[in-house]
Amino acid sequence: MKTALIVGIAGQDGSYLAELLLQKGYHVFGLLREKERLENIEHLKKKIKLIYGDLRDKKSLEKAVLKVKPSELYNLAAISFIPASWKNPTLICDVNALGVSRLLEIIRDRSPKTKFFQASSAQMFGKPKECPQSEKTNFSPLNPYASSKLFAHFLVQSFREKYGVFSCSAIFYNHESERRPPEFVTRKITQGAVKIKLGLEKKLELGNLESRRDWGYAPDYVRAAWLMMQQNKPDDFVIATGKLHSVKDVCKIAFTTLGLNYKNYVVVKKEFIRKEEPVKLLGSVVKAKKILNWKPRISFEEMIKKMALYDLEVLKK
Amino acid sequence: MKRALITGITGQDGSYLAEHLLSLNYRVFGLVRRSSTDGLERIFHILKNIELVEGDLLDQHSLVRALEKAKPDEIYNLAAQSFVPASFSQPIYTGEVTALGVTRMLEAIKSVCPKVKFYQASSSEMFGRVRESPQSEKTPFYPRSPYGVAKLYGHWITINYREAYNLFAVSGILFNHESPRRGQEFVTRKISLAVVRIKLGKQKKLVLGNLDARRDWGFAGDYVKAMHLMLQQNSPEDYVIGTGESHSVRDFVTNAFTVVGIKDWQRYVKTSKEFLRPSEVQRLIADPGRARKILGWKPETSFKELVKMMVETDLEREK
Repeated sequence: MKTALIVGIAGQDGSYLAELLLQKGYHVFGLLREKERLENIEHLKKKIKLIYGDLRDKKSLEKAVLKVKPSELYNLAAISFIPASWKNPTLICDVNALGVSRLLEIIRDRSPKTKFFQASSAQMFGKPKECPQSEKTNFSPLNPYASSKLFAHFLVQSFREKYGVFSCSAIFYNHESERRPPEFVTRKITQGAVKIKLGLEKKLELGNLESRRDWGYAPDYVRAAWLMMQQNKPDDFVIATGKLHSVKDVCKIAFTTLGLNYKNYVVVKKEFIRKEEPVKLLGSVVKAKKILNWKPRISFEEMIKKMALYDLEVLKK
Repeated sequence: MKRALITGITGQDGSYLAEHLLSLNYRVFGLVRRSSTDGLERIFHILKNIELVEGDLLDQHSLVRALEKAKPDEIYNLAAQSFVPASFSQPIYTGEVTALGVTRMLEAIKSVCPKVKFYQASSSEMFGRVRESPQSEKTPFYPRSPYGVAKLYGHWITINYREAYNLFAVSGILFNHESPRRGQEFVTRKISLAVVRIKLGKQKKLVLGNLDARRDWGFAGDYVKAMHLMLQQNSPEDYVIGTGESHSVRDFVTNAFTVVGIKDWQRYVKTSKEFLRPSEVQRLIADPGRARKILGWKPETSFKELVKMMVETDLEREK
């Protein structure tokens, strides 16, 4: 029986990955910080084992790795909300980049057979010079979050090349789900639309409606993470849908699902328009399709519908 | 009178830059870490002319206080854990100083002196496994060591702050630059010192890694002038600084032995796997065209002159 340690298990991706690995018969351990909200893993509590630790605390990571002796370690923990990265840039680097360095050192020195997965981000492309972006596209990160992720990305490569650690990175494009925190725009919209439907709110304030992203469904993405760890050789992959949709598209689908017209409720607010909005981040998934035989199973429309209907269920109660 | 704060003033580049700025009539402040061994030998001769401020790139608050005290017009961030092999054994420390230290400094600048001009010492190690040769400001990065990775983060975070907060912040992507003040753990200084000691009968062998490894080596004294020039421009931009010539370790060795009059150098030189880098960078060679055109900068010291200077200085010291 394989054993996996998921760092960041209580988050969106961590909880979906835990479900997937349990299905595949893994023994699943999760690392999380104290006081983290457990709602995403409440339903798995009896099947997984939780260990408390923090990416900033090397000792806690080392203890966890030595206790679990994982065959696969997935690092899905990060401070991932971009606007916050301008408020706390040093903390973000400590967690997102040095945290990876700590994990890689522990694997190198104490558990060299453990395979390591790192969730990199399409934000590393920032202002890309080509579209779509592939594994060969040059990086130009635009904010402390993206810079910290790039730092980690190259550390993963360094440890792979120098020490032969089985370490790989997925360059994940935006991926959403019913478990996406509400400060992210997709969930903000589905929750907002439901609140309007239920008469709890009258308006939904958003930034740039024309802003376009490559949005996929989180459970599809964690499946790609698992596939990457089953390859003979560690390698990096772009994981995306290869399709662009606008914030307006999210609004349309979410409101229509609830029988509403978004035009009557959505208000554009300047303060939500992001500094340095990245342009046309669109992933090319040729390599992932070819080598991992991976492609997304849930379409954009299905995803937004799922999210809106889920929010309706929850908020009705 | 302009005021400059130099982090890493006790290092090779810091000491040359301090001399250069003093010659231009700057008031020079240097950030120094408290240490039980003072490590001031490189700036001993100018100690009376500069002012030292205590502080550490690991300590955010110490940077704020240093900026409040020095009230600089220009800041040169030259401090780093800069030895590549050590970055493999101490990646987290390297990240804390070389990467996060830059963010801490930028944060301090943002709150204390957002009008200051900031120079970040980026490195050709960021090119690592080079994607094209020679390397210019447009060449993509692919660092291969925790040092190169940390420097790349410092490079991007400098650009992030420049673009988001309109800071006058620039990065100089400097290729290898050597001098008689280079630390003895670096290959050029290791060679110059060993050659001199062999000449004087104090040492028998010089053990090196890959003799065919090639680098673009310039003189640190020339490079600090480029740093200063970058901060005198109207707009903050990044520049590649190098000689545009590459030489092998073997070239350095033969030139160094020639300076002391030894021809059969092969007798003294051995190679050992111990000094091979796990992931060697290749074909590092600068295209300094932009610096030449816009800054009017070019190296004044040739490779041969550099080797000669290093060997002769070590000869003086060892005699």
